Amino acid sequence: MKLRTTLVLGTALVAMAVPAFAQDYGKHDGYTLRVKLIGGAQYEPLYAEIPKWEAATGAKVEIVSSKNHFELDKEIKQDIAAGTLDWCVGSNHTSFAPQYGEIYTDLTPLIAAEDLAAFVPLMIQHSTVDGRLVQLPRHSDVSNFFYQKSLFEDEANKTGFKEKYGYDLAPPETWAQVKDQAMFFSNPPDFYGFQFVGKDEAVTGRFYEMLVANGGAMFDDNWVPTFNSPAGVESLQFFVDLYEAKAVPAGVPNYTWDDTGLGFGSGSIAMDLDWGGWSSYFNDPANSKVAGNVGLIRAPKGSGGKRTGWSGSHSFSVTEGCDNKAAAASFVTFLTSYDNQMVEARKGLLPTRTQVWDDAIAEFTAAGNTFSADTMTTFKASMSEDAFTPPLIPEWIEVSNVLWPKLQAAIVGDMTAEEALNAAQADAAEIMKDAGYN
Amino acid sequence: MTVTVESRASKQAKKVALWLTTFVLMLVMCLPGLWVVLSAFRPNREILAKPPVWIPEEITLDNFGKIFGFGAEQVGIPVGSYFTNSLVIALTSTVIALIIGVAGGYSFARYRFRFKGGIFLGLMLFRAVPGIALSMPVFMMWSRLGLVDTKMGLIIVYVSLNVPFTIWLIDGFFRQIPQALSEAAQVDGCTRWQAFWKIEFPLAKSGIAAAGVFAFLTSWNEFALASQLTRSTDSKTLPVGLLDFTAQFTIDWAGMCALAVVIIIPALILTFIVQKHLIAGLTFGGVKG
Amino acid sequence: MIRALTTRRTELAPFLLLLPAVATMLFVVALPLIFSLWTSLTPYKLTKPNTLYDFIGLTNYIRIFGDWDFWEAFLRTIAFLTVAINVEFALGLGIALLINKITWGQRGLRTIMMFPMMFSPILVGFQFKFLFNDHIGVVNNALQSLGLTDQAIPWLVDAKLAMFSITLAEVWMSTSVFAILLLAGLFAMPRDPLEAAKVDGCNSWQVFRHITLPFLMPFAYIAMAIRSLDVARAYDLVAVMTDGGPAGRTELLWTLVARVGYDEAKMGQANAMAYVSTILSVLFTWYFYRKLVAARRYMGGAE
Repeated sequence: MKLRTTLVLGTALVAMAVPAFAQDYGKHDGYTLRVKLIGGAQYEPLYAEIPKWEAATGAKVEIVSSKNHFELDKEIKQDIAAGTLDWCVGSNHTSFAPQYGEIYTDLTPLIAAEDLAAFVPLMIQHSTVDGRLVQLPRHSDVSNFFYQKSLFEDEANKTGFKEKYGYDLAPPETWAQVKDQAMFFSNPPDFYGFQFVGKDEAVTGRFYEMLVANGGAMFDDNWVPTFNSPAGVESLQFFVDLYEAKAVPAGVPNYTWDDTGLGFGSGSIAMDLDWGGWSSYFNDPANSKVAGNVGLIRAPKGSGGKRTGWSGSHSFSVTEGCDNKAAAASFVTFLTSYDNQMVEARKGLLPTRTQVWDDAIAEFTAAGNTFSADTMTTFKASMSEDAFTPPLIPEWIEVSNVLWPKLQAAIVGDMTAEEALNAAQADAAEIMKDAGYN
Repeated sequence: MTVTVESRASKQAKKVALWLTTFVLMLVMCLPGLWVVLSAFRPNREILAKPPVWIPEEITLDNFGKIFGFGAEQVGIPVGSYFTNSLVIALTSTVIALIIGVAGGYSFARYRFRFKGGIFLGLMLFRAVPGIALSMPVFMMWSRLGLVDTKMGLIIVYVSLNVPFTIWLIDGFFRQIPQALSEAAQVDGCTRWQAFWKIEFPLAKSGIAAAGVFAFLTSWNEFALASQLTRSTDSKTLPVGLLDFTAQFTIDWAGMCALAVVIIIPALILTFIVQKHLIAGLTFGGVKG
Repeated sequence: MIRALTTRRTELAPFLLLLPAVATMLFVVALPLIFSLWTSLTPYKLTKPNTLYDFIGLTNYIRIFGDWDFWEAFLRTIAFLTVAINVEFALGLGIALLINKITWGQRGLRTIMMFPMMFSPILVGFQFKFLFNDHIGVVNNALQSLGLTDQAIPWLVDAKLAMFSITLAEVWMSTSVFAILLLAGLFAMPRDPLEAAKVDGCNSWQVFRHITLPFLMPFAYIAMAIRSLDVARAYDLVAVMTDGGPAGRTELLWTLVARVGYDEAKMGQANAMAYVSTILSVLFTWYFYRKLVAARRYMGGAE
């Protein structure tokens, strides 16, 4: 604890000592930097800042591709296959990065140490694969617990809940409480207590963070899958029970992030574990029916006493084959600079620089925007204390792909939780063996 | 006298009833699509509400404002260049497919040659190969040839998608036109080319128009291959642009609907204009093979 | 005399005229297929380009043929195609018969009829995913508002309903194609036999059964053959609606190929599966084409 405080303090001092606007991005006159950037509404405001870097360095930026992350992932794999890695900077993500092998260069020698020190240390750690800093985090994400405040303030709910469950109704501290409350609030088909994403890597991630919170692990020290442990069964059973009790919408096995976000915004879901990126949407009366009624707390704890905190960061990487790594590194540094992270933080994205967290919160508070300030504060705490990534191995997606259909099978009742996890464990063990881990 | 009037009236009533039934049925059939169009003019808050909002409380152009950039809030989606790309790619590939298809169809209709049936069937079967099976190998070839993320790359692919069906249609159509016509012209001193150009081609216009509509719609709406072969505003088409409304965690459904309307309208207008020729063009020269 | 003149002089002409068509198909389809055949005989991983040169024989094929999940997807794909094409045909025929009777405003009605053809498959996928959302979807909202159910029906999750929903979306997207092709057939129909039958006192069902339908069958097979050319377009909409889930209940060959090939980057194995799906599609087209040829003979047309 003490160590962390000094670290944070130290980085804050460094950040203040080097004013961001005085940054020297070098001169790269006449050079054209080819980049592939994640596209989409929430990512675009940052790209509007690019001309500033062009003006400062004399270089030009050519955006050769702009797609959502899953499409970009496909494209980069195609580039590796076809040998067309003829670009310098690419958007990346901590969950995707390990798959790409060595196509991205280690940024440590390219970026000034004091610049790196201005980032939240945990974020830098998550961006490191096999000891190489293959990406510089742009903004990160972790899920916290949104709920409709009015439900918890309602007197009838309070007495009714106490009568039924024997303890006071309050925003949940543990996932066991979430289960009780979800069942209490549900009134299908009009209103549901909770919801979860139920397919693709999304449900793998939700299961995985529950597994960790309940004291389990995906793999043991020898990379043998261990998610079918008692903690694993307990974790999966949580989702199965909620589904069986109709405390979540019947369609959740087909839900991904957009469905849960839109669902909570529709006002018919009591509680929602969701990403920071949604908070401004939830509180925007133009889009959301729960605007003004949104409560937010840190994600609850599992039976192992740990909070769920599956996390990932959007990031930028520089290719190994880049013909001007200095320019590329300068560009990446610019995109993740203090000023630019402030631009993104104002839009509600979670920064990766320590100083930006504090200044953004201060700015929101000063503007009287307490909702945003509180949101930032909550996410800051979970980002620095609860966040953890999936195992950073290339096989993660492959393992996820054998796991999630089995998770679904248990949720919809085709298999018991134990059968499902045992079946998935056998497949995952084979993948790990094939890949040469054991 | 009265009898005929009555029966004429009842005939009229029957006609109106039939018309109304058909119209209502068509409307029901179109409902899932109309819902998309309507959603384009409503805010997300209303479309995705629970309890549902059946009668729109708010009709707005904001979604269009967002994508075209004249509203307060601008989504950085370059609809303009997607639209141009789509138009250039769909039109060019349609024209080329028609030229190749008319040549091929004419050849099948007017000549006897070896392996005719085999070649015809072969062309059709090649067309049946699923896009998902082609996307990776085509990408690898195109990247070697520098065709990835170019309009030309997509145009070539779409030509091949449309040639077989065009040949099929045009072949049937030319058979309908009596060969005697062009033979008579040739006796009168026309070359075979002149006979084709002055006599047979004008008669085949509606067949070509029908093939053109189908080819245009296929290219205009194609997604699977376009999503693999396009990357930037140099070549991205409108259907691929739909995915711009999905970010990792969010989806802007109303915005997507607005772009959908932008995609649908040109196709609908074209179909309506060509409608007159469409049915005539699809008759496949009777069925006499 | 003319015939003799043309055949000799233009021996090469038909091949020259066909050359562009054949060349295009060879270049865009045949060459890539040869390449993907090779990759299916290797452990090719997209992220490890060198694996392209390890020949492993039929290992990929043996692996997928021994995998029950693959066979399940295979059979489901066949069932899906069979049901979808037949339903589309039946509905398309009904619509064509109705529109054929309309005399006033037909051009407009025909355009309305073709409305679904304006929708890109990817859009149809998003559209039906939202319509069938169990919670905020229009379908459930309507059923609940009308008092037809007090349940939230999990359209995209339930073991039977999920396949039904996907099929419905596919039928919605493609029925118009059948309708327009069959309508063209009805237009081409000679009037005389119809009039004659009516004079002979046949009722409308008899006329339809014995005159209209046999005449339409070749058109039906043309329509089916043409439809079978791009049934795989359904991949786009399934990928968006369920992507094969939940628990593999809607897994089709195409979704399996995409996941193995791109998410897991195991392109060698994916291409082995893709080859099976290619053969399946080709067989479908070939089957309808044979039927068409047979129907034409039956009609007494000269081949």
